[in-house]
Amino acid sequence: MTENAIEVADLTKSFGGVHAVDGVSMKVPCGERRAIIGPNGAGKTTFFNCVTGRLIPNSGKIFIFGKEVTRLAEHQRVAMGIGRTFQITNIFPKLTVLENILLAVQGTKRQKWVFHRSITSFAESQARATEELNRVGLAHRVSHTVQHLSYGERRQLEFALALACRPRLLLLDEPASGLSPGERQRIAEIISQLPRHITIILIEHDMSVAFGLADQVAVLHRGSIIFEGTPDQVQANSQVREVYFGDV
Amino acid sequence: MGSRILFVVMIILALLAPQVLDVFWVNTLIQILCLGLLALSVDLLLGQTGIFPFGQGAFFAVAAYTVAILQVRLGQPTYLAAPAGLAAAVILALVYGLAVRTSGVYFLLVTMAMGHIVWGVSVRWVALSGGDNGIGNIPYPQIGSFVIKGASPYYYVVLTVVVLCMLGYRVLIRSPFGVTLRGIRESESRMRALGYSVGAHKYVAFLISGALAGLAGVLYVYFNRLVSPSTASLHVSVEAALMVIIGGSGTIFGPFIGSAVILILRNYVSGHLVQWMTVMGLVFIVTVLWAPDGLLGLVRRIRIKESGRLRQKGSRRA
Repeated sequence: MTENAIEVADLTKSFGGVHAVDGVSMKVPCGERRAIIGPNGAGKTTFFNCVTGRLIPNSGKIFIFGKEVTRLAEHQRVAMGIGRTFQITNIFPKLTVLENILLAVQGTKRQKWVFHRSITSFAESQARATEELNRVGLAHRVSHTVQHLSYGERRQLEFALALACRPRLLLLDEPASGLSPGERQRIAEIISQLPRHITIILIEHDMSVAFGLADQVAVLHRGSIIFEGTPDQVQANSQVREVYFGDV
Repeated sequence: MGSRILFVVMIILALLAPQVLDVFWVNTLIQILCLGLLALSVDLLLGQTGIFPFGQGAFFAVAAYTVAILQVRLGQPTYLAAPAGLAAAVILALVYGLAVRTSGVYFLLVTMAMGHIVWGVSVRWVALSGGDNGIGNIPYPQIGSFVIKGASPYYYVVLTVVVLCMLGYRVLIRSPFGVTLRGIRESESRMRALGYSVGAHKYVAFLISGALAGLAGVLYVYFNRLVSPSTASLHVSVEAALMVIIGGSGTIFGPFIGSAVILILRNYVSGHLVQWMTVMGLVFIVTVLWAPDGLLGLVRRIRIKESGRLRQKGSRRA
Protein backbone atom coordinates (compact mmCIF):
# COMPACT_ATOMS: atom_id res chain seq x y z
CA MET A 1 0.00 0.00 0.00
CA THR A 2 1.47 3.30 -1.00
CA GLU A 3 -1.43 5.39 0.16
CA ASN A 4 -1.44 7.06 3.53
CA ALA A 5 -3.48 5.59 6.33
CA ILE A 6 -4.55 9.05 7.37
CA GLU A 7 -4.19 12.34 5.61
CA VAL A 8 -5.46 15.44 7.31
CA ALA A 9 -5.39 18.82 5.59
CA ASP A 10 -5.78 22.07 7.49
CA LEU A 11 -8.19 20.64 10.04
CA THR A 12 -9.94 23.11 12.31
CA LYS A 13 -12.43 22.43 15.06
CA SER A 14 -13.65 25.24 17.27
CA PHE A 15 -15.96 25.33 20.24
CA GLY A 16 -17.17 28.89 20.39
CA GLY A 17 -14.02 30.95 20.55
CA VAL A 18 -11.78 28.05 21.50
CA HIS A 19 -9.83 26.60 18.58
CA ALA A 20 -9.34 23.09 19.93
CA VAL A 21 -7.78 21.98 16.66
CA ASP A 22 -6.26 24.86 14.74
CA GLY A 23 -5.19 24.18 11.17
CA VAL A 24 -3.61 20.78 11.72
CA SER A 25 -2.13 18.99 8.72
CA MET A 26 -0.71 15.51 9.05
CA LYS A 27 0.12 12.51 6.92
CA VAL A 28 0.55 9.07 8.46
CA PRO A 29 1.77 6.40 6.04
CA CYS A 30 0.38 2.89 6.33
CA GLY A 31 2.17 0.75 8.85
CA GLU A 32 3.69 3.65 10.74
CA ARG A 33 3.60 3.95 14.50
CA ARG A 34 3.01 7.58 15.41
CA ALA A 35 2.71 9.10 18.83
CA ILE A 36 0.89 12.35 19.47
CA ILE A 37 1.98 14.08 22.63
CA GLY A 38 1.19 17.43 24.13
CA PRO A 39 -0.04 19.08 27.31
CA ASN A 40 -3.61 18.53 28.46
CA GLY A 41 -5.99 20.66 26.44
CA ALA A 42 -3.70 20.63 23.41
CA GLY A 43 -6.44 19.17 21.21
CA LYS A 44 -5.26 15.57 20.94
CA THR A 45 -8.57 13.89 21.76
CA THR A 46 -10.50 16.44 19.70
CA PHE A 47 -8.22 15.57 16.79
CA PHE A 48 -9.05 11.88 17.24
CA ASN A 49 -12.75 12.69 17.45
CA CYS A 50 -12.58 14.55 14.13
CA VAL A 51 -10.72 11.71 12.46
CA THR A 52 -13.18 9.04 13.61
CA GLY A 53 -16.20 11.20 12.90
CA ARG A 54 -17.44 11.76 16.39
CA LEU A 55 -17.08 15.48 15.70
CA ILE A 56 -17.56 17.31 12.43
CA PRO A 57 -14.72 19.77 11.82
CA ASN A 58 -15.32 23.42 10.99
CA SER A 59 -12.94 23.27 8.06
CA GLY A 60 -10.34 21.06 6.48
CA LYS A 61 -10.35 17.63 4.89
CA ILE A 62 -9.79 14.14 6.20
CA PHE A 63 -8.74 11.16 4.10
CA ILE A 64 -8.62 7.62 5.40
CA PHE A 65 -6.87 5.04 3.22
CA GLY A 66 -7.06 7.49 0.36
CA LYS A 67 -10.80 8.08 0.58
CA GLU A 68 -12.23 11.44 1.66
CA VAL A 69 -14.34 10.95 4.75
CA THR A 70 -14.82 14.51 5.97
CA ARG A 71 -18.63 14.27 5.82
CA LEU A 72 -18.94 10.54 6.39
CA ALA A 73 -20.73 9.24 9.51
CA GLU A 74 -18.67 7.71 12.30
CA HIS A 75 -19.94 4.16 11.93
CA GLN A 76 -19.25 4.22 8.20
CA ARG A 77 -15.63 5.30 8.76
CA VAL A 78 -15.19 2.58 11.37
CA ALA A 79 -16.32 0.03 8.81
CA MET A 80 -13.24 0.98 6.76
CA GLY A 81 -11.16 -0.66 9.46
CA ILE A 82 -10.64 1.65 12.42
CA GLY A 83 -10.36 0.56 16.02
CA ARG A 84 -10.34 3.10 18.79
CA THR A 85 -9.86 3.36 22.53
CA PHE A 86 -11.30 6.24 24.53
CA GLN A 87 -9.39 8.34 27.03
CA ILE A 88 -12.21 7.89 29.56
CA THR A 89 -13.08 4.21 29.56
CA ASN A 90 -16.12 3.72 27.36
CA ILE A 91 -17.40 0.16 27.58
CA PHE A 92 -20.72 -1.47 28.45
CA PRO A 93 -21.07 -1.49 32.26
CA LYS A 94 -24.06 -3.77 32.77
CA LEU A 95 -23.09 -6.34 30.15
CA THR A 96 -20.72 -9.24 30.65
CA VAL A 97 -17.15 -9.20 29.38
CA LEU A 98 -18.15 -11.71 26.72
CA GLU A 99 -21.06 -9.56 25.53
CA ASN A 100 -18.76 -6.55 25.40
CA ILE A 101 -16.26 -8.26 23.17
CA LEU A 102 -18.90 -9.94 21.01
CA LEU A 103 -20.42 -6.53 20.30
CA ALA A 104 -17.00 -5.37 19.16
CA VAL A 105 -16.47 -8.45 17.00
CA GLN A 106 -19.83 -8.24 15.22
CA GLY A 107 -19.77 -4.45 14.86
CA THR A 108 -18.91 -4.46 11.19
CA LYS A 109 -20.59 -7.75 10.34
CA ARG A 110 -24.04 -8.44 8.97
CA GLN A 111 -24.49 -10.77 11.94
CA LYS A 112 -25.60 -7.84 14.07
CA TRP A 113 -28.98 -7.81 12.31
CA VAL A 114 -29.82 -11.44 13.07
CA PHE A 115 -32.70 -11.72 15.51
CA HIS A 116 -33.68 -15.37 15.43
CA ARG A 117 -30.52 -17.07 16.70
CA SER A 118 -28.69 -16.76 19.98
CA ILE A 119 -25.56 -14.59 19.80
CA THR A 120 -23.49 -17.40 21.27
CA SER A 121 -24.32 -19.69 18.36
CA PHE A 122 -21.98 -17.87 16.00
CA ALA A 123 -18.85 -19.98 16.29
CA GLU A 124 -16.54 -17.71 14.34
CA SER A 125 -17.38 -14.69 16.47
CA GLN A 126 -17.02 -16.71 19.66
CA ALA A 127 -13.56 -17.87 18.57
CA ARG A 128 -12.52 -14.34 17.72
CA ALA A 129 -13.79 -13.07 21.06
CA THR A 130 -11.91 -15.77 22.97
CA GLU A 131 -8.74 -14.94 21.02
CA GLU A 132 -8.92 -11.25 21.94
CA LEU A 133 -9.72 -11.93 25.58
CA ASN A 134 -6.75 -14.27 25.81
CA ARG A 135 -4.50 -11.64 24.28
CA VAL A 136 -5.29 -9.11 27.00
CA GLY A 137 -5.57 -11.72 29.73
CA LEU A 138 -9.27 -11.39 30.53
CA ALA A 139 -10.42 -14.87 29.53
CA HIS A 140 -11.03 -15.81 33.16
CA ARG A 141 -13.50 -12.94 33.56
CA VAL A 142 -15.58 -13.84 30.55
CA SER A 143 -18.95 -14.15 32.29
CA HIS A 144 -18.43 -11.34 34.79
CA THR A 145 -20.28 -8.09 34.47
CA VAL A 146 -18.03 -5.15 33.68
CA GLN A 147 -19.25 -3.38 36.80
CA HIS A 148 -17.32 -5.95 38.83
CA LEU A 149 -14.04 -5.42 37.01
CA SER A 150 -11.16 -3.40 38.41
CA TYR A 151 -10.08 -0.20 36.66
CA GLY A 152 -7.07 -1.92 35.13
CA GLU A 153 -9.20 -4.76 33.82
CA ARG A 154 -11.63 -2.28 32.29
CA ARG A 155 -8.78 -0.53 30.47
CA GLN A 156 -7.67 -3.92 29.17
CA LEU A 157 -11.20 -4.61 27.95
CA GLU A 158 -11.32 -1.17 26.32
CA PHE A 159 -8.16 -2.13 24.48
CA ALA A 160 -9.54 -5.53 23.49
CA LEU A 161 -12.65 -3.86 22.03
CA ALA A 162 -10.46 -1.76 19.76
CA LEU A 163 -8.60 -4.82 18.47
CA ALA A 164 -11.58 -7.14 18.15
CA CYS A 165 -12.66 -6.05 14.69
CA ARG A 166 -9.15 -6.56 13.25
CA PRO A 167 -8.59 -2.90 12.40
CA ARG A 168 -6.12 -1.65 9.81
CA LEU A 169 -5.85 1.60 11.73
CA LEU A 170 -5.70 1.80 15.49
CA LEU A 171 -6.31 5.04 17.35
CA LEU A 172 -5.26 4.66 20.97
CA ASP A 173 -6.17 7.49 23.34
CA GLU A 174 -3.97 7.16 26.42
CA PRO A 175 -4.28 3.37 26.64
CA ALA A 176 -1.94 3.27 29.64
CA SER A 177 -3.63 5.97 31.72
CA GLY A 178 -4.32 4.98 35.29
CA LEU A 179 -2.57 1.63 34.97
CA SER A 180 0.01 0.18 37.32
CA PRO A 181 3.59 -0.20 35.98
CA GLY A 182 3.04 -3.93 35.40
CA GLU A 183 -0.19 -3.30 33.50
CA ARG A 184 1.48 -0.56 31.44
CA GLN A 185 4.24 -2.97 30.53
CA ARG A 186 1.71 -5.49 29.38
CA ILE A 187 -0.16 -3.02 27.20
CA ALA A 188 3.12 -1.77 25.69
CA GLU A 189 4.10 -5.37 24.92
CA ILE A 190 0.78 -6.13 23.28
CA ILE A 191 1.01 -3.01 21.12
CA SER A 192 4.58 -3.72 20.05
CA GLN A 193 3.64 -7.26 19.08
CA LEU A 194 0.79 -6.21 16.81
CA PRO A 195 1.29 -7.01 13.10
CA ARG A 196 3.30 -4.36 11.32
CA HIS A 197 0.70 -3.67 8.65
CA ILE A 198 -1.57 -2.08 11.29
CA THR A 199 -1.09 1.68 11.45
CA ILE A 200 -1.10 2.92 15.02
CA ILE A 201 -1.62 6.46 16.23
CA LEU A 202 -1.10 6.76 19.93
CA ILE A 203 -1.88 9.58 22.33
CA GLU A 204 0.14 9.10 25.46
CA HIS A 205 1.57 11.00 28.40
CA ASP A 206 3.75 8.10 29.48
CA MET A 207 6.95 8.84 27.56
CA SER A 208 8.47 5.39 27.95
CA VAL A 209 5.40 3.85 26.33
CA ALA A 210 5.09 6.53 23.65
CA PHE A 211 8.73 6.80 22.64
CA GLY A 212 9.30 3.07 22.98
CA LEU A 213 6.66 2.34 20.35
CA ALA A 214 6.75 5.31 18.00
CA ASP A 215 8.50 5.73 14.66
CA GLN A 216 7.43 9.35 14.51
CA VAL A 217 6.16 11.77 17.14
CA ALA A 218 3.93 14.82 16.64
CA VAL A 219 3.78 17.42 19.37
CA LEU A 220 0.51 19.31 19.73
CA HIS A 221 0.15 22.57 21.65
CA ARG A 222 -2.96 24.73 21.77
CA GLY A 223 -4.41 23.03 18.71
CA SER A 224 -1.35 23.27 16.46
CA ILE A 225 1.51 20.94 15.71
CA ILE A 226 4.65 22.61 16.96
CA PHE A 227 7.07 19.84 16.03
CA GLU A 228 7.22 16.52 14.23
CA GLY A 229 10.12 14.12 14.24
CA THR A 230 11.63 10.95 15.65
CA PRO A 231 11.49 10.38 19.40
CA ASP A 232 15.15 11.45 19.76
CA GLN A 233 14.60 14.64 17.78
CA VAL A 234 11.55 15.48 19.89
CA GLN A 235 13.37 14.97 23.13
CA ALA A 236 16.21 17.18 21.95
CA ASN A 237 14.06 20.05 20.70
CA SER A 238 14.13 23.00 23.07
CA GLN A 239 10.67 24.38 22.23
CA VAL A 240 9.11 21.01 22.99
CA ARG A 241 11.03 20.74 26.22
CA GLU A 242 9.77 24.13 27.30
CA VAL A 243 6.15 23.50 26.42
CA TYR A 244 5.81 19.93 27.53
CA PHE A 245 8.58 18.81 29.83
CA GLY A 246 8.82 22.06 31.68
CA ASP A 247 12.54 22.43 31.01
CA VAL A 248 13.99 25.82 30.22
CA MET B 1 -33.02 -24.56 35.25
CA GLY B 2 -34.98 -23.15 38.19
CA SER B 3 -36.56 -20.47 36.05
CA ARG B 4 -37.58 -23.03 33.46
CA ILE B 5 -39.39 -25.10 36.08
CA LEU B 6 -41.05 -21.95 37.35
CA PHE B 7 -42.16 -21.12 33.82
CA VAL B 8 -43.71 -24.57 33.35
CA VAL B 9 -45.48 -24.31 36.71
CA MET B 10 -46.88 -20.94 35.74
CA ILE B 11 -48.08 -22.29 32.40
CA ILE B 12 -49.88 -25.11 34.20
CA LEU B 13 -51.46 -22.67 36.64
CA ALA B 14 -52.42 -20.40 33.78
CA LEU B 15 -54.06 -23.28 31.91
CA LEU B 16 -56.05 -24.34 34.97
CA ALA B 17 -57.09 -20.83 35.97
CA PRO B 18 -60.49 -20.64 34.23
CA GLN B 19 -61.50 -23.94 35.81
CA VAL B 20 -61.07 -22.65 39.36
CA LEU B 21 -61.62 -18.91 39.12
CA ASP B 22 -64.85 -17.10 38.45
CA VAL B 23 -65.54 -14.93 35.41
CA PHE B 24 -64.45 -11.74 37.14
CA TRP B 25 -60.96 -13.10 37.66
CA VAL B 26 -60.71 -14.67 34.21
CA ASN B 27 -61.58 -11.29 32.72
CA THR B 28 -58.96 -9.68 34.93
CA LEU B 29 -56.40 -12.22 33.72
CA ILE B 30 -57.24 -11.38 30.11
CA GLN B 31 -56.66 -7.71 30.84
CA ILE B 32 -53.41 -8.51 32.65
CA LEU B 33 -52.16 -10.40 29.58
CA CYS B 34 -53.22 -7.77 27.02
CA LEU B 35 -51.87 -4.80 28.94
CA GLY B 36 -48.83 -6.82 29.96
CA LEU B 37 -48.06 -7.29 26.27
CA LEU B 38 -48.38 -3.54 25.79
CA ALA B 39 -46.00 -3.04 28.72
CA LEU B 40 -43.60 -5.54 27.13
CA SER B 41 -43.56 -3.41 24.00
CA VAL B 42 -42.60 -0.43 26.15
CA ASP B 43 -39.81 -2.41 27.78
CA LEU B 44 -38.29 -3.45 24.46
CA LEU B 45 -37.47 0.24 24.10
CA LEU B 46 -36.99 1.21 27.73
CA GLY B 47 -35.35 -1.81 29.31
CA GLN B 48 -33.47 -3.14 26.29
CA THR B 49 -32.64 -0.10 24.17
CA GLY B 50 -32.56 2.54 26.89
CA ILE B 51 -35.07 4.97 25.35
CA PHE B 52 -38.28 5.91 27.15
CA PRO B 53 -41.40 5.95 24.96
CA PHE B 54 -44.43 7.77 26.26
CA GLY B 55 -46.88 7.08 23.44
CA GLN B 56 -47.16 3.33 22.89
CA GLY B 57 -50.90 3.72 23.43
CA ALA B 58 -51.00 5.19 19.91
CA PHE B 59 -50.30 1.79 18.33
CA PHE B 60 -52.57 0.04 20.81
CA ALA B 61 -55.44 2.36 19.90
CA VAL B 62 -54.86 2.47 16.14
CA ALA B 63 -54.96 -1.33 15.99
CA ALA B 64 -58.11 -1.41 18.13
CA TYR B 65 -59.89 1.24 16.05
CA THR B 66 -58.90 -0.47 12.79
CA VAL B 67 -60.41 -3.74 13.98
CA ALA B 68 -63.54 -1.94 15.16
CA ILE B 69 -64.02 0.02 11.95
CA LEU B 70 -63.50 -3.04 9.76
CA GLN B 71 -65.74 -5.39 11.74
CA VAL B 72 -68.52 -3.00 12.76
CA ARG B 73 -68.69 -0.42 9.97
CA LEU B 74 -67.48 -2.49 7.04
CA GLY B 75 -68.66 -5.89 8.18
CA GLN B 76 -65.33 -7.56 7.55
CA PRO B 77 -64.52 -10.93 9.15
CA THR B 78 -62.02 -11.43 11.94
CA TYR B 79 -59.39 -13.09 9.78
CA LEU B 80 -59.13 -9.83 7.80
CA ALA B 81 -59.79 -7.30 10.55
CA ALA B 82 -57.29 -8.64 13.08
CA PRO B 83 -54.26 -8.69 10.73
CA ALA B 84 -55.35 -5.32 9.37
CA GLY B 85 -55.28 -3.92 12.90
CA LEU B 86 -51.76 -5.18 13.36
CA ALA B 87 -50.74 -3.84 9.96
CA ALA B 88 -52.16 -0.41 10.81
CA ALA B 89 -50.03 -0.28 13.95
CA VAL B 90 -46.91 -1.22 11.99
CA ILE B 91 -47.62 1.41 9.31
CA LEU B 92 -48.01 4.03 12.02
CA ALA B 93 -44.74 2.86 13.57
CA LEU B 94 -42.98 3.26 10.20
CA VAL B 95 -43.96 6.94 10.28
CA TYR B 96 -43.68 7.59 14.01
CA GLY B 97 -40.29 5.87 13.98
CA LEU B 98 -38.80 9.24 13.04
CA ALA B 99 -38.92 9.88 16.76
CA VAL B 100 -35.75 7.83 17.25
CA ARG B 101 -33.81 10.72 15.81
CA THR B 102 -34.34 12.33 19.19
CA SER B 103 -33.12 11.07 22.52
CA GLY B 104 -33.66 11.36 26.25
CA VAL B 105 -36.43 13.64 27.37
CA TYR B 106 -37.01 14.86 23.80
CA PHE B 107 -37.84 11.33 22.71
CA LEU B 108 -40.26 11.11 25.62
CA LEU B 109 -41.97 14.35 24.61
CA VAL B 110 -42.09 13.53 20.90
CA THR B 111 -43.63 10.11 21.51
CA MET B 112 -46.08 11.63 23.98
CA ALA B 113 -47.11 14.16 21.33
CA MET B 114 -47.49 11.39 18.77
CA GLY B 115 -49.79 9.52 21.12
CA HIS B 116 -51.74 12.68 21.69
CA ILE B 117 -52.26 13.12 17.95
CA VAL B 118 -53.94 9.73 17.77
CA TRP B 119 -56.14 10.63 20.72
CA GLY B 120 -57.03 13.94 19.07
CA VAL B 121 -58.03 12.22 15.83
CA SER B 122 -60.15 9.69 17.74
CA VAL B 123 -62.05 12.51 19.43
CA ARG B 124 -62.50 14.85 16.45
CA TRP B 125 -62.80 12.68 13.37
CA VAL B 126 -66.25 11.59 14.42
CA ALA B 127 -67.22 10.05 11.09
CA LEU B 128 -64.31 7.65 11.33
CA SER B 129 -63.98 7.02 15.03
CA GLY B 130 -67.41 7.69 16.45
CA GLY B 131 -66.03 10.58 18.48
CA ASP B 132 -66.45 10.42 22.24
CA ASN B 133 -68.84 7.51 21.98
CA GLY B 134 -66.33 5.40 20.17
CA ILE B 135 -67.31 2.25 18.35
CA GLY B 136 -69.15 -0.42 20.28
CA ASN B 137 -70.91 -3.71 19.63
CA ILE B 138 -67.77 -5.20 18.24
CA PRO B 139 -68.70 -8.79 17.41
CA TYR B 140 -67.06 -11.77 19.03
CA PRO B 141 -63.98 -12.91 17.13
CA GLN B 142 -64.74 -15.61 14.63
CA ILE B 143 -62.39 -18.02 12.90
CA GLY B 144 -64.24 -19.74 10.07
CA SER B 145 -67.52 -20.82 11.65
CA PHE B 146 -66.09 -21.02 15.17
CA VAL B 147 -67.15 -18.07 17.31
CA ILE B 148 -65.03 -17.37 20.37
CA LYS B 149 -67.69 -16.37 22.84
CA GLY B 150 -67.19 -16.10 26.57
CA ALA B 151 -64.36 -15.34 28.92
CA SER B 152 -62.73 -18.78 29.18
CA PRO B 153 -62.36 -19.54 25.44
CA TYR B 154 -61.04 -16.07 24.73
CA TYR B 155 -58.69 -16.30 27.69
CA TYR B 156 -57.03 -19.33 26.09
CA VAL B 157 -56.64 -17.50 22.79
CA VAL B 158 -55.02 -14.53 24.49
CA LEU B 159 -52.83 -16.78 26.65
CA THR B 160 -51.55 -18.65 23.59
CA VAL B 161 -50.73 -15.47 21.69
CA VAL B 162 -49.03 -13.86 24.67
CA VAL B 163 -46.94 -16.95 25.51
CA LEU B 164 -45.83 -17.17 21.87
CA CYS B 165 -44.87 -13.49 22.02
CA MET B 166 -42.90 -14.04 25.21
CA LEU B 167 -41.02 -16.95 23.66
CA GLY B 168 -40.30 -14.90 20.54
CA TYR B 169 -39.21 -11.97 22.71
CA ARG B 170 -36.83 -14.26 24.57
CA VAL B 171 -35.23 -15.36 21.29
CA LEU B 172 -35.00 -11.74 20.19
CA ILE B 173 -33.22 -10.46 23.27
CA ARG B 174 -30.65 -13.25 23.16
CA SER B 175 -29.90 -12.69 19.49
CA PRO B 176 -27.15 -10.45 18.11
CA PHE B 177 -29.82 -7.81 17.47
CA GLY B 178 -30.95 -7.99 21.09
CA VAL B 179 -27.43 -7.67 22.48
CA THR B 180 -26.92 -4.76 20.08
CA LEU B 181 -29.90 -2.98 21.63
CA ARG B 182 -28.44 -3.42 25.09
CA GLY B 183 -25.12 -2.13 23.81
CA ILE B 184 -26.94 0.98 22.62
CA ARG B 185 -28.54 1.30 26.03
CA GLU B 186 -25.16 1.11 27.74
CA SER B 187 -23.16 3.40 25.47
CA GLU B 188 -24.33 4.81 22.14
CA SER B 189 -20.98 6.48 21.52
CA ARG B 190 -19.13 3.21 21.97
CA MET B 191 -21.50 1.48 19.58
CA ARG B 192 -20.88 4.09 16.90
CA ALA B 193 -17.15 3.70 17.41
CA LEU B 194 -17.61 -0.03 16.80
CA GLY B 195 -19.37 0.47 13.47
CA TYR B 196 -23.05 0.28 14.41
CA SER B 197 -25.65 2.52 12.84
CA VAL B 198 -27.38 3.30 16.10
CA GLY B 199 -30.29 5.11 14.47
CA ALA B 200 -31.13 2.19 12.20
CA HIS B 201 -31.19 -0.28 15.08
CA LYS B 202 -33.36 2.00 17.19
CA TYR B 203 -35.77 2.38 14.28
CA VAL B 204 -36.17 -1.36 13.86
CA ALA B 205 -36.66 -1.76 17.63
CA PHE B 206 -39.33 0.92 17.43
CA LEU B 207 -41.10 -0.98 14.65
CA ILE B 208 -41.09 -4.25 16.60
CA SER B 209 -42.32 -2.41 19.67
CA GLY B 210 -45.13 -0.82 17.66
CA ALA B 211 -46.12 -4.22 16.30
CA LEU B 212 -46.29 -5.73 19.79
CA ALA B 213 -48.35 -2.80 21.03
CA GLY B 214 -50.67 -3.18 18.05
CA LEU B 215 -51.06 -6.89 18.71
CA ALA B 216 -51.98 -6.05 22.31
CA GLY B 217 -54.58 -3.64 20.96
CA VAL B 218 -56.11 -6.27 18.69
CA LEU B 219 -56.34 -8.75 21.58
CA TYR B 220 -57.80 -6.10 23.86
CA VAL B 221 -60.46 -4.81 21.50
CA TYR B 222 -62.03 -8.25 21.09
CA PHE B 223 -62.14 -8.53 24.87
CA ASN B 224 -63.54 -5.08 25.55
CA ARG B 225 -65.72 -5.06 22.41
CA LEU B 226 -65.70 -1.31 22.58
CA VAL B 227 -63.08 1.20 21.57
CA SER B 228 -63.18 4.89 22.46
CA PRO B 229 -60.82 7.86 22.84
CA SER B 230 -59.89 6.66 26.31
CA THR B 231 -58.14 3.75 24.59
CA ALA B 232 -55.84 6.33 23.03
CA SER B 233 -55.40 8.51 26.08
CA LEU B 234 -52.08 9.36 27.68
CA HIS B 235 -53.22 7.32 30.66
CA VAL B 236 -52.77 4.07 28.72
CA SER B 237 -49.17 4.88 27.77
CA VAL B 238 -48.29 6.09 31.25
CA GLU B 239 -49.79 3.03 32.87
CA ALA B 240 -47.84 0.75 30.55
CA ALA B 241 -44.63 2.47 31.62
CA LEU B 242 -45.62 2.14 35.28
CA MET B 243 -46.19 -1.57 34.81
CA VAL B 244 -42.67 -1.95 33.47
CA ILE B 245 -41.14 -0.05 36.36
CA ILE B 246 -43.13 -1.83 39.06
CA GLY B 247 -42.57 -5.28 37.62
CA GLY B 248 -38.96 -4.92 36.62
CA SER B 249 -37.44 -3.38 33.51
CA GLY B 250 -35.17 -5.44 31.29
CA THR B 251 -36.92 -8.73 31.97
CA ILE B 252 -39.61 -10.73 30.17
CA PHE B 253 -41.91 -11.35 33.13
CA GLY B 254 -41.51 -7.92 34.73
CA PRO B 255 -44.04 -6.09 32.54
CA PHE B 256 -46.62 -8.81 33.22
CA ILE B 257 -46.02 -8.74 36.96
CA GLY B 258 -46.46 -4.98 36.90
CA SER B 259 -49.60 -5.43 34.86
CA ALA B 260 -50.95 -7.86 37.44
CA VAL B 261 -50.22 -5.46 40.30
CA ILE B 262 -51.97 -2.55 38.63
CA LEU B 263 -54.95 -4.53 37.41
CA ILE B 264 -55.54 -6.24 40.71
CA LEU B 265 -55.43 -2.84 42.36
CA ARG B 266 -57.79 -1.40 39.80
CA ASN B 267 -60.25 -4.25 39.47
CA TYR B 268 -60.24 -5.81 42.92
CA VAL B 269 -58.92 -3.40 45.51
CA SER B 270 -61.10 -0.64 44.09
CA GLY B 271 -64.11 -2.66 45.12
CA HIS B 272 -62.98 -2.71 48.74
CA LEU B 273 -61.17 0.56 49.14
CA VAL B 274 -62.23 3.93 47.84
CA GLN B 275 -58.66 5.20 48.07
CA TRP B 276 -57.27 2.49 45.81
CA MET B 277 -55.59 5.06 43.62
CA THR B 278 -53.71 6.35 46.64
CA VAL B 279 -52.51 2.81 47.19
CA MET B 280 -51.37 2.63 43.57
CA GLY B 281 -49.49 5.90 43.97
CA LEU B 282 -47.83 4.61 47.14
CA VAL B 283 -46.86 1.36 45.41
CA PHE B 284 -45.19 3.39 42.70
CA ILE B 285 -43.35 5.68 45.13
CA VAL B 286 -42.14 2.75 47.22
CA THR B 287 -40.95 0.96 44.07
CA VAL B 288 -39.01 3.93 42.79
CA LEU B 289 -37.38 4.59 46.16
CA TRP B 290 -36.61 1.06 47.36
CA ALA B 291 -36.92 -1.22 44.36
CA PRO B 292 -36.00 0.76 41.23
CA ASP B 293 -35.38 -2.52 39.44
CA GLY B 294 -38.97 -3.44 40.14
CA LEU B 295 -40.29 -6.50 41.92
CA LEU B 296 -38.19 -8.87 39.82
CA GLY B 297 -35.11 -6.82 40.56
CA LEU B 298 -35.90 -7.05 44.25
CA VAL B 299 -36.21 -10.83 44.00
CA ARG B 300 -32.90 -10.98 42.18
CA ARG B 301 -31.14 -8.91 44.83
CA ILE B 302 -32.52 -11.05 47.62
CA ARG B 303 -31.33 -14.19 45.83
CA ILE B 304 -27.84 -12.73 45.39
CA LYS B 305 -27.69 -11.80 49.06
CA GLU B 306 -28.89 -15.27 50.04
CA SER B 307 -26.29 -17.01 47.89
CA GLY B 308 -23.59 -14.69 49.26
CA ARG B 309 -24.61 -15.54 52.81
CA LEU B 310 -24.61 -19.27 52.05
CA ARG B 311 -21.14 -19.02 50.60
CA GLN B 312 -19.91 -17.21 53.68
CA LYS B 313 -21.23 -19.97 55.88
CA GLY B 314 -19.21 -22.39 53.83
CA SER B 315 -22.14 -24.47 52.70
CA ARG B 316 -22.50 -25.43 49.07
CA ARG B 317 -25.28 -24.04 46.90
CA ALA B 318 -27.83 -26.66 45.84
